Amino acid sequence: MENLAQHAEDLYCPEIATITRVETLTASEKRFEITMPGNRPLNHKPGQFVEVSIFGFGEAPISICSSPTRGPSFDLTVRATGRLTDKMHLLEAGSQIGIRGPFGNGFDPQDFKGRDMLFICGGIGLAPLKSLIDYTLDRRNDFGRIIILYGTKNPAEILFPEEIEKWQQQTDIEFVMTVDQADEQWQGHVGVITTLIPPLELDVKNTIATVVGPPVMYKFVLMSLKGKRIPDENIYLSLERRMKCGVGKCGHCQINDTYVCQDGPVYHYPHVKQLEEAV
Amino acid sequence: MNALDEKLNRFTKYKISEQTLRKFIDYLKQQAPVFAPHHNGEASYSYECVENSAEVVLSYPRTMQPLKKYFLPPREVLLNFNIKDNTFSKPEIIEETRIFFAVHSYEMASLKRLDYSFTQGHVESNYVSRRKYAIFVGISYTPDESHFSKSVGIDVEETEGFDLFLLPVGDGYFLLEITDTGKRLVEGFPGLAAPDTTEIKTEPLQFKSKIKYHHNRLPAVFDHVYKSKVWDKYAEICVGCGTCNLLCSTCYCFDIRDEVDLDAEHGTRTRYWDGCMLNTFAEVAGGENFRGSLARRTRHRLYRKFKYITAKSEMLHCVGCGRCSHFCPVGISMTDIVNDLITDYEEKQNKEKI
Repeated sequence: MENLAQHAEDLYCPEIATITRVETLTASEKRFEITMPGNRPLNHKPGQFVEVSIFGFGEAPISICSSPTRGPSFDLTVRATGRLTDKMHLLEAGSQIGIRGPFGNGFDPQDFKGRDMLFICGGIGLAPLKSLIDYTLDRRNDFGRIIILYGTKNPAEILFPEEIEKWQQQTDIEFVMTVDQADEQWQGHVGVITTLIPPLELDVKNTIATVVGPPVMYKFVLMSLKGKRIPDENIYLSLERRMKCGVGKCGHCQINDTYVCQDGPVYHYPHVKQLEEAV
Repeated sequence: MNALDEKLNRFTKYKISEQTLRKFIDYLKQQAPVFAPHHNGEASYSYECVENSAEVVLSYPRTMQPLKKYFLPPREVLLNFNIKDNTFSKPEIIEETRIFFAVHSYEMASLKRLDYSFTQGHVESNYVSRRKYAIFVGISYTPDESHFSKSVGIDVEETEGFDLFLLPVGDGYFLLEITDTGKRLVEGFPGLAAPDTTEIKTEPLQFKSKIKYHHNRLPAVFDHVYKSKVWDKYAEICVGCGTCNLLCSTCYCFDIRDEVDLDAEHGTRTRYWDGCMLNTFAEVAGGENFRGSLARRTRHRLYRKFKYITAKSEMLHCVGCGRCSHFCPVGISMTDIVNDLITDYEEKQNKEKI
């Protein structure tokens, strides 16, 4: 025990960071730019998360939606859906906020060098994947095709309109969007996100598919990818659980024998395939 | 001589009467705070700080709350914060020697499991600070209808982790010196005669509650019973109160909550024991519950004891204290569940043979 004591950490103390920009994205989602003390970079990997806290309102795990290639500050997209996130939506630029992390494994983009990248994002799942999308765009020559499929319930829920406009214009990105339910102005594709997969022409062996979305989405997307004959080992998922402590202790995020906050949130599909509670 | 007796006979030991033993507790109290089992109502026991050595209970089946409460308190302030100026401080945890007296072997074994859980990966300072200077004096016990520690490989006389160990003999005890720390405590105490050289001969104790397989075979059983109907059978009786989690000596899951004082300025970020049998445990933002049924939660609880952590730590994370069985309001017993799973496993194996 005394040997281990040398490595003991104060695991639950946040750093007090500053919100340096707030952008309203939809009726329930805002993007916050966060700057760490001394403007130091967070040193995160795409796909990692932080524990955000406001004293008196608790803590919540939030995915980082910006790429480490852009910094030193980082972005969080937050849906107002609980005590902490509701309060966070009331904060303005200049407010202080507690940050612990980054936590989780994240993606290793170097492993995808030279591959075609297929991003499948459902709803707010675009936020965590955006950290990897931006990474691949900033290192564009390292990757093959970049295909982004994005589905939301309705046009009012579309995140990152500025980025999306750019992606639509850029010739080296194939961006396709769909909504489950159209409104009067909507001229694009209508249908669930899985309807975007069959028409794709892919070099399946060379394509890396990354999937993030609401829990219900995974099963159907995985079936479509199987239909496309994308090998399981080319598929990565990021899973959402209630990562309360972020350091592999509290037990809330456990899926079978794996702690999402330690071994995830990014999982190689062949690994989670064995786990009944995963998707 | 069997292996256990051989091991016990290697330790230096002293014959000590109960009266002298209580004087020894008084002596220990002069060295450091002493915590030991006390009566808590008529039929219940709890570890308390010793005020009066005469009140220490030496023969007891089990305390209701496990010893872990001293290392992972049921409620622990992680941070004191100030909402107005966004500042916080971490309460200081005093790293002091504490002596835990008359502790049973399964309880000591549970601390070895907690040591693993709080030091693998990230080493948690809160736990380590409380644990670092702890001293343990063990005592053997007579198993009741709920103990089954022998079935998970822990003898009543297992001395691992203890500094001193007490074995009842005649109208007194043998006091065994297990570690150098224990030896130093004994040396400072004037009330003992010269070491005793009588040979220890333990009587094999009968456990009424048993798992019908050797504990080495249990992980293999758990490889095959994930989809067993046994989970549904117990889920039908279970009321989901979480008592089994909260009294378990190796469970360590927790919740963290912010609590604000009435002045709306000060508050605490506080951790509480939590349990995977409670309905909201695996709920995520948006309301989805990944273990919404009692059958799945029961399965998760047992897999954490017999497979998930075991695969990494190489220890079963059930120590056979019997608390979950003993205090379950609807009488669900851990050994019954495991034995049913074994039956199910055997039936499956037989089918495969045919």
